[in-house]
Amino acid sequence: MDVQSNNFIGLAEIAIEQGTIPQAVSQGTRMANGRRMVAMSAGTEHGEAMRQQAAYAKRYALQHLADLLEEAEERLTENGFTVLWAETAEEARQHVLAIAQRHHITRVAKSKSMVTEEIALNDALIEAQIEVVETDLGEYLLQINNEAPSHIVIPVIHKSKDEVRALMQDKMGMPYIEDASEMVAFARQRMRKTFLEAEMGITGGNFVIAETGSLCLATNEGNGRMVTTLPRVQVSLIGIEKIVATVEDYATLAQVLPRSGTGQNLTVYTNILNGLSVDGGAEHQYLIFVDNGRSRIYADSRYTEALACLRCGACLNTCPVYRSTGGHAYGWVYGGPIGAVVSPLLKGLDQTTPLPNASSLCGSCKQVCPVDIDIPRMLLDLRHDIITQHHGEFLISASMKVWEQVNRSPQLFELGGKMAQLGLQMGADEWVPNPLGDWKAYRDFPGFAPQSFRAQWRKHHKENKHEQQ
Amino acid sequence: MIYPQTGMSVVKILEHLNVEVDFPSAQTCCGQPAFNSGYRPEARGVALQFMRAFKDAQVIVTPSGSCAAMVRHEYATLFADDPVRLAEVQRLASITWEFTEFLVDGLGITDLALRLPQPQSFAFHDACHGLRLLGLGNAARTLLGNTENATVCDLTECDVCCGFGGLFSVKMPNVSNAMLQTKINHIEASSAPTIVTGDASCLTQMNGGLSRKGSDKRVRHIADVLAEGLEGAE
Amino acid sequence: MNSSKANILARLRQHPAPFAHLPAPQTRRVMHPLDDSTDLVGLFCAQAQKLSAQVSLPASPAQAIELILQLIGEDRSVLAWDFPHIPLHGLEDALQQAHIERAPDRSDGVRVGISGVDAALASTGSIVVSAREGRSRAVSLLPALHIAVLTTGQILPHLDAWLAHQQTDLAGFRAVGNHIIITGASRTADIGMELVLGAHGPAQLQMVILP
Repeated sequence: MDVQSNNFIGLAEIAIEQGTIPQAVSQGTRMANGRRMVAMSAGTEHGEAMRQQAAYAKRYALQHLADLLEEAEERLTENGFTVLWAETAEEARQHVLAIAQRHHITRVAKSKSMVTEEIALNDALIEAQIEVVETDLGEYLLQINNEAPSHIVIPVIHKSKDEVRALMQDKMGMPYIEDASEMVAFARQRMRKTFLEAEMGITGGNFVIAETGSLCLATNEGNGRMVTTLPRVQVSLIGIEKIVATVEDYATLAQVLPRSGTGQNLTVYTNILNGLSVDGGAEHQYLIFVDNGRSRIYADSRYTEALACLRCGACLNTCPVYRSTGGHAYGWVYGGPIGAVVSPLLKGLDQTTPLPNASSLCGSCKQVCPVDIDIPRMLLDLRHDIITQHHGEFLISASMKVWEQVNRSPQLFELGGKMAQLGLQMGADEWVPNPLGDWKAYRDFPGFAPQSFRAQWRKHHKENKHEQQ
Repeated sequence: MIYPQTGMSVVKILEHLNVEVDFPSAQTCCGQPAFNSGYRPEARGVALQFMRAFKDAQVIVTPSGSCAAMVRHEYATLFADDPVRLAEVQRLASITWEFTEFLVDGLGITDLALRLPQPQSFAFHDACHGLRLLGLGNAARTLLGNTENATVCDLTECDVCCGFGGLFSVKMPNVSNAMLQTKINHIEASSAPTIVTGDASCLTQMNGGLSRKGSDKRVRHIADVLAEGLEGAE
Repeated sequence: MNSSKANILARLRQHPAPFAHLPAPQTRRVMHPLDDSTDLVGLFCAQAQKLSAQVSLPASPAQAIELILQLIGEDRSVLAWDFPHIPLHGLEDALQQAHIERAPDRSDGVRVGISGVDAALASTGSIVVSAREGRSRAVSLLPALHIAVLTTGQILPHLDAWLAHQQTDLAGFRAVGNHIIITGASRTADIGMELVLGAHGPAQLQMVILP
């Protein structure tokens, strides 16, 4: 997927103008956020303790990441998985293509996976003449409409029911159906064939448990189970940061993930795959550890905790910026608060310069994150990186230096205040480049008070002194 | 400069409580606008002026949750590599209070025995820095709740950001405005004619939008509302 | 060691490990603590029903069989686990007598699947189905209606309890290639956030709980 993040403001404008996107996104995120608060017992002592327990489990795993990856590989291999390592997106794609070639694969059924979006896997498969069908209903609808997901967990959150219906009528030949259940039944019937005929199933992964060599998936629709049961070859891809140390840590994380993401106690299918199985499932199971920049993020201690992310979507669901713009405005795979951090870290600030500034720093994301990632702090660090790497706009940098000098001198500060007041009265804000223009585009400005606080204070203080004498 | 009456309200209330108040005139700004935009050297320069101005202070009170948060949470970041200054900013952090926090948690006063001249209804908007970084929330509500003639109503999503975010409001004005419009819709839907908040920046954003929209409703600073109650105080 | 693996591990080991000074939480909590007096059966039923699963507690095996035959209705075949693994004595005979065939494993188009469970979890209304000989996962996946037969003795407090039990025999846990914890019928909210039951997995989940 092309990185369009530098056009955040323009893309946001399109969504805001259009109106239906923020409306659908607001409705969806409010619902999910409300459910999260109940399921996570938000604000209670227990809820907070569970968050800290989950936060520790992830940070412990990150602390021991290299060792745990080696342990995981050993256990997974004993269980019958073939484990592969991919430093880059290209290498990951090549692994999948090589596997497909080895097993003469022509038809792939895919379960939802953000890391496969990240490495643009579908494009590579299609280029190699391999048919690939997304099986998560939301992802499938986006695929046939040539659109990207706009949310980490609820990919079609930006579409209303009417819009989904129109899409299904247009692209699936569905007759007009009013009822959502019937719409799903139509899709289920249509997509059944895909599962039965697929030769290879591709999934992502929510966790890998190092001590047991288990790949863990959390899904709702059943497509994840389908693609790991019916096709003869299974390929799963997982970011290296998704390793957890023990079954006990998994117990904690497996429960905070759905509660934070959708407000469910558990997703419908909480699946623990321990490799080859007596009841069938794929004859060949591959697991690809994907780096693609994660080890680089790991090495910068300011940003390591970004790797604790469970991809639950809670931060997206609480963020008022995300609610106002929807996910496509962020211009790449990961949007919302965590996206504003990891997209720059994975793709570089050059391609994602607006993202760290696409936040009012309200702090809600940190408050809802089940593993307590300090997103606001990282946004501030990224903003600092932007300036130190010379991405700051010249006019703003120059103004900041002037501003600093003015604020280092109380006399200049007061003078500056008076000048600004005068200038405003003269309408200088109309012809001198200043931020007030952008302010006034949408809001009135109160103007400066006739008598400054300092002046009033001086008078008040003098009066007090008089009284005391 | 824009809301001198808020500063005077704080002074009046503190002096009513027999607190000795000084306004060190050497102060300028806490430096947050530069820090939040990634300009740390410039923020440091301004923070140094803050340190100069308040070097003899024993208690610092500000009617701004975001300024208090800057001093308490980010000054240590600015001087992390400077042990002498770090110690100084840690001292400053330990003596800096947001205004309502100072009254309730610092002085232990939950009832100022205030009385508004006329019965009025208010709803609270929780300013983000105060709420999430300082853990404010109840102090202002307690003080207003104990003020005669003041009724407190609900505001839907009172803890959701108004969209100001400092320079965010002018760097991404369309997004800031989209957030503002959501807030304004809730304000219009609230039964309270006046909204109360603890941060003048949120206030400017919300009033800017309310007045542009032609709304009768306005946002006031909690200090100003409480000061209004001083006139009728017992 | 292949070079990608070596490079990745080398990069991860380059600097001192992060979060080294983070203190572990004092005590470990379970997500949904229950006290010993909790009526696990009651809780399981209530939680399952909240997920729109049907729950019945027949007084006898005969009643249970009658219910199942009713649910099968006019169908002539079902998917099922090997009968020794379904804790309902007489089920195999009853199906035979009703001329209801047991379809080959993984047949699609069979409406009803009947299985036992490995465990049930009270606090979330979940059932655990582990892949073993004669206990195909297809039974709880392909049909539109999944009938799960369990006994009250199989009901554990919660997922933490089940996983803690697995931890006492990790070799046994790993020997099973697929554990699935099923919490309700398959669902999606992709249509304008409206919850719809019955996506790709079963649309209906029926619990039959025997003493």
